[in-house]
Amino acid sequence: MSDREPPSATDAADDGSGGDAADAADAVLSVEHVDGGYGDVQVLDDLSLSLSAGEIACLIGPNGAGKSTVLKTVFGLLTPWSGRVRYRGDDIGGTAPEEIVREGIGYVPQTENVFGSLTIEENLRMGGVARDDDLGPVIDGLYDRFPVLTEKRDAKARTLSGGQRQVLAFARALVMEPDVLLIDEPSAGLAPNTADEVFDDVLAVNELGTAILMVEQNARKGLSVSDSGYVLDQGSVAFAGEADGLLDDPEVSRLYLGG
Amino acid sequence: MSVLEHLANGLVFGSIIVLASIGLSLVYSIAGFANFAHGDTMTVGAYTALVTFGFVGTLGAEVLGLPLGFFLALVVGVAVAAVVAVATHLLVYEPLEVDSIGLLITSIGVAFVYRGVIQLGFGTDFTEFRIPLLRPIEALVPYGIRMTRHDVAIVASAVVLVAGLHALLQYTDLGRKMRATADNPSLARVSGIRTDRIEIWTWVIGAGLAAAGGVFLGLYNNVSPRMGFDILLVVFAAVILGGIGSVYGAMAGGLLIGVINQLTPVLPRLGREFPLVPEGFGIPIGVEYANAVVFLIMVAVLLVRPSGIAGEEAT
Repeated sequence: MSDREPPSATDAADDGSGGDAADAADAVLSVEHVDGGYGDVQVLDDLSLSLSAGEIACLIGPNGAGKSTVLKTVFGLLTPWSGRVRYRGDDIGGTAPEEIVREGIGYVPQTENVFGSLTIEENLRMGGVARDDDLGPVIDGLYDRFPVLTEKRDAKARTLSGGQRQVLAFARALVMEPDVLLIDEPSAGLAPNTADEVFDDVLAVNELGTAILMVEQNARKGLSVSDSGYVLDQGSVAFAGEADGLLDDPEVSRLYLGG
Repeated sequence: MSVLEHLANGLVFGSIIVLASIGLSLVYSIAGFANFAHGDTMTVGAYTALVTFGFVGTLGAEVLGLPLGFFLALVVGVAVAAVVAVATHLLVYEPLEVDSIGLLITSIGVAFVYRGVIQLGFGTDFTEFRIPLLRPIEALVPYGIRMTRHDVAIVASAVVLVAGLHALLQYTDLGRKMRATADNPSLARVSGIRTDRIEIWTWVIGAGLAAAGGVFLGLYNNVSPRMGFDILLVVFAAVILGGIGSVYGAMAGGLLIGVINQLTPVLPRLGREFPLVPEGFGIPIGVEYANAVVFLIMVAVLLVRPSGIAGEEAT
């Protein structure tokens, strides 16, 4: 399906034969023809993608392709220069992150994604500052799901191992019970078996109905746990489609998956 | 004066430095710059309290040799300093699109404005609270300590304020959000913390504590337009010694710096004061160099613990 190189991102999305990633109208989240970047340095160039309710989509591509920039632009850490970011039909482009959290989107940054000087319990409480109800039951539920956090609830987050930190970073974002979770390189800096555990957690979170838009440096691994994938190159979508299809695509394989 | 008396003075002076240091460190950690107007915020608090005291000074019974009107004046001084600091934040710092060095330089300008306005209103002379001086507490005199109930009031008030801040930071929602914002402002916003509001609360608390320090400094010494600026370098030394950005470090650093500052007169007569030091030994240095001694100790500590007493690497 993607053995030709689609000239624009819209074509790429239309190419997705699975249908779930294709139609922006069913999408819970869509990025439409966005230009953007840092200061006056442009990174995203007419980028479009969409995420359906309940799916996992993975952004892969070389360093500097703009993968993390997409997440930051969706989450309001960067303002799109042009184009739209839609969540459930509303344009949320440029809305501040502390307000976007309240809309039902969560974000797990790649680095410095826990409050090191706060305890595990306090980190989780910070994850729920935008909730009006009692945090107790939600946090207890997260302790049940991630038992590694339970034993350390009164320890400072900076004492956690890399894998444990990643779990805490997920859990902090999940206190809001978001409909969409943006995850930036969950496996970065982790040993292979720890990374596998983190991907299991990504799947477990998704099974509860949270749609996930994930950036992943380990492209094969990322695509293998995802429903759909986008290959970014120089700020645009170069290939898009079902994750399995991208993994089997010889050209994607040769250019982006290391053969 | 006995060593114990110098220590007691150090405790009083240290209490004042602690109040000033906490605010400076708190603002540094959340607003992200070294606020050179912090000393003059102390002065604003002191003059506001002085004026208020003129109206309400005779009110009420006495607590520790101070009329209740003094404490009312203290509260007004704290409130006005907080309002001035928040207004400065909203009108000056917030709209500026500059980095932390730009804000630092701006705050020096703000300090000049605060001081200039005070000098326009009150002149450049020293003045003081019209509160009768007290005799030293009799019970302490046999131990060589001449300390008044005013001194006790300063230390007790500082302890109450510091304990209150500790409770706020550790056990309230606002406190946890402040610590989270200081730790990682970007992640704080990502978590849903409205950091602009946290920043306003930080100015309220930081300036309020500075004003309390200024009022007590005015009671301890006297009130003058330069009082806050003159003490600012010592406050910076305390904050850096404690580990800049750490509130608890600022408490430790403030107390230590205050005590060292007041112990300087003992240095030339170490031999006479301490049993194991050879008779006649002393470091011949005058009290004018108290602040230099403070900085020397600060540098010495930083050589061993580069990030300060409670700095990141230390904990």
